[in-house]
Amino acid sequence: MDYASPTDDEHESLARMPSQSHNNRFYSGHGKARATHTRPRPINTPSSSMTNVPTMPIPIPSNPNVIPGNTLPSAPASPPTPAPSPTPMGREPDWSTADPREDIGDLELDEHDHGSARTSTVDSAGYSFGYRHMRAMFAQMDNDERQRMLGELLNMCDGKLLGFVAGFVGPRLKRDPFSVLPNELCLRILTFIDEPKTLARSSQVSRRWRELVSDDMAWKSLCERHAYRRLSDEPSSTGRPVTAAQSSNSEQRHQHPYGYHHGFAQMHNPSLAGLSSSAPDLTRRMSMNHAPSVLPPTLSTRASSSAVKRRPKALTYRSHFKQRYQVETAWRTGGKVDTRQITPDQGVVTSLHLTPNYIIVALDNAKIHVFDTEGRHLRCLQGHVMGVWAMVPYGDTLVSGGCDRDVRVWDLQSGQAVHMLRGHTSTVRCLKMSGPNVAISGSRDTTLRIWDIKKGICRHVLVGHQASVRCLEICGDLVVSGSYDTTARIWSISEGRCLRTLQGHFSQIYAVAFDGKRVATGSLDTSVRVWDPRDGRCLAQLQGHTSLVGQLQLRNDTLVTGGSDGSVRVWSLQTYSAIHRLAAHDNSVTSLQFDDSRIVSGGSDGRVKVWDLDRGVLVRELGSPAEAVWRVVFEEEKAVVLASRNGKTVMEVWSFAPPPEDEASPYSLRSSTNGISSITPYQDPAYGERPNYGRGDSSDQSKAMTQQHDENMNDGYDVPTESDEGRASVMEDVEEGTQ
Amino acid sequence: MSEGEQKVKLLSSDQVEIETERKVAERSMLIKNMIEDLGAPGEEPIPIMNVSEAVLRKVLEWCQHHKNDPAPTQDDDADSRKKTTDIEDWDQKFMQVDQEMLFEIILAANYMDIKALLDVGCKTVANMIKGKSPEEIRKTFNIQNDFTPEEEDQIRRENEWAEDR
Repeated sequence: MDYASPTDDEHESLARMPSQSHNNRFYSGHGKARATHTRPRPINTPSSSMTNVPTMPIPIPSNPNVIPGNTLPSAPASPPTPAPSPTPMGREPDWSTADPREDIGDLELDEHDHGSARTSTVDSAGYSFGYRHMRAMFAQMDNDERQRMLGELLNMCDGKLLGFVAGFVGPRLKRDPFSVLPNELCLRILTFIDEPKTLARSSQVSRRWRELVSDDMAWKSLCERHAYRRLSDEPSSTGRPVTAAQSSNSEQRHQHPYGYHHGFAQMHNPSLAGLSSSAPDLTRRMSMNHAPSVLPPTLSTRASSSAVKRRPKALTYRSHFKQRYQVETAWRTGGKVDTRQITPDQGVVTSLHLTPNYIIVALDNAKIHVFDTEGRHLRCLQGHVMGVWAMVPYGDTLVSGGCDRDVRVWDLQSGQAVHMLRGHTSTVRCLKMSGPNVAISGSRDTTLRIWDIKKGICRHVLVGHQASVRCLEICGDLVVSGSYDTTARIWSISEGRCLRTLQGHFSQIYAVAFDGKRVATGSLDTSVRVWDPRDGRCLAQLQGHTSLVGQLQLRNDTLVTGGSDGSVRVWSLQTYSAIHRLAAHDNSVTSLQFDDSRIVSGGSDGRVKVWDLDRGVLVRELGSPAEAVWRVVFEEEKAVVLASRNGKTVMEVWSFAPPPEDEASPYSLRSSTNGISSITPYQDPAYGERPNYGRGDSSDQSKAMTQQHDENMNDGYDVPTESDEGRASVMEDVEEGTQ
Repeated sequence: MSEGEQKVKLLSSDQVEIETERKVAERSMLIKNMIEDLGAPGEEPIPIMNVSEAVLRKVLEWCQHHKNDPAPTQDDDADSRKKTTDIEDWDQKFMQVDQEMLFEIILAANYMDIKALLDVGCKTVANMIKGKSPEEIRKTFNIQNDFTPEEEDQIRRENEWAEDR
């Protein structure tokens, strides 16, 4: 830790900088005693000094009584001890000790000597000689004498002159820290700046500052302060299985952080960007209408989704920070939204998934719509004959189930059905994947089934629940199911048997979350229970909701729940207590998801709200209120909202991706399209299977929707099938009666 | 006599001898290591080559006030990074000196290896920068703007994103 050598290096490089010439004294002048004799900075005449202080014209205060001495940020107010470096105003001179002969004698002498040259006008030569003399004298004095001399001179000055002195001296007491200190210390200072605005402004001060701020150290520290992921932690967007990415059933959301999703290149490439009704673009229409006829649909979409999806990886902490910061800012106040009608009829959305490659929407009209991540319609999966109530994607595979009791396996690339798995005797209510080959379904027939979706066979039937299986969650070899029989059960997937029954709720279980260490269940009895999966013990009963708890997500030590009472609650699983109680929606919470920083909730009041997870405050409302929000999912830079607007089923794809680096227009202009511009009317998909929308069932549809409104949407009721009727009616009675 | 009450003599760069408690002086890892190498404080004053008397006295004043602080740990560095830039009141007052002294304290703290003091100094400077416009920063430290108008404009645009919020 020797600062002599870096200082020397510093000195050399800085010597080139014109503005710092006076600062160099600081290096050479460490020994104060030495400075007394060879003062490297002679007293400059005001005119010569001006060149050193170009940004500070010497101010003469209009009010001479106001001495601008305190403009110094470092002016001592009340230090613990007197500051050892006295300022010019530091000490009152003591005139009693002054030798009378000291008194300006030399100056008078000068004037006498040159008296003959003096006329009534001031002779500049005479003055300059006097100055020279005085300067020589001053140079020979030691510091104490100088101080006295200066004091004496200053004492002769009126306010105006003192103002001049203050303006003259002020800037000289200031030093550019980054020209004084070695790089290592300059960077250390910069790491203590905790907001980007100051850091960005610092880089605009001077070349030297810019050079230092360009060093990534300060940005790295800023990334850490803002808890942005380190560069090395940023996952690549390839090779990640989709299972964990998004699940949007009314049940538990994924426990994993979403994969990074770099979608902005696509957004800003006009030939690939989605249709926008507000800005019709011929190029884009061309690509939409003609590209598919050139390329087989799967190939063209493949190309666009894999090749364009990635933003060039941030190479510096600065650009990394900038990207993340811009995303944060967009989440708060900006974002671009693309709104489109996805179905000509009034389909009720039962399920929504956002994966690295697809947005998948399931409807109660038996259709499953597949979009790319920008919201462009790719295809419609047809085969179910009744409402689809559960689905789960895994890579390019989708498994779905619903009222027709069949579990179907689809290839999302081709849109073809791969398997139709029969076995359940009532509505399939929940589905999850365990690896790429195993799907687990839960049904109103009270069973769970474990399917091998490669072979298309049923491996196990899990029997034990006494009523409809409403929700399930998988971790490792364990599946936890929640049932209307008020219990949750833990099953071994490989062995196909029940390991444990979690008993305690007084009413139906509607939601379950499971991270391997803990099970959380939400029930119609308004409570949330947390269980130990190893021994089945109830660890805690979380009270607070006043109605059905239908939304649950578990992440690290935080549990977020949403209820039909419209409230969203954040719980600590360390203390089992409520951290935040958010009065989120006027009606029930239909959708809920959170990550490290935010919660996004959707409600049957038609609003989508973004919350700060840590502070528990509303960040913004996303878009204008709709009639109802069915589902919301989000990831780092994107959110998808499925809602009903003007009686239409619309999908809103929000992008919070930053603009490209070289974009000339400022981001604020880009993000000004805040809110809903207009809705892209429904267009038949240009390729893929042409959807065959059912006719004549529109009254059923609207009825279903009204019903959905009246009930809680998260409660996704079962539509009874004929063969189902006996038990179903009983179950529905129970369900509706208790609400 | 316990170790803490032992006296240590230090010699400033301008050849002034200063005596202080060993405990106070050992806030400086430089001095602590030197004493440990010697086994015990010797009669000869320890030369603090790069620090003048005025600065050394100021630094020792800080060490005196903080002599009972817990010793810094190895992973202290990572910890303090994450902490706020808050400075305790006494330190704040202590740092109310002219800029020359402030920077000399930083240099001395760095040379003498007193991490806590170095951080207080760096935070003080950082706080002087915070919330200011580029022009205000220039005024604060009397810095010349050496950008051309074109460069200035370009750099301003480069950094516009941070002004967004």
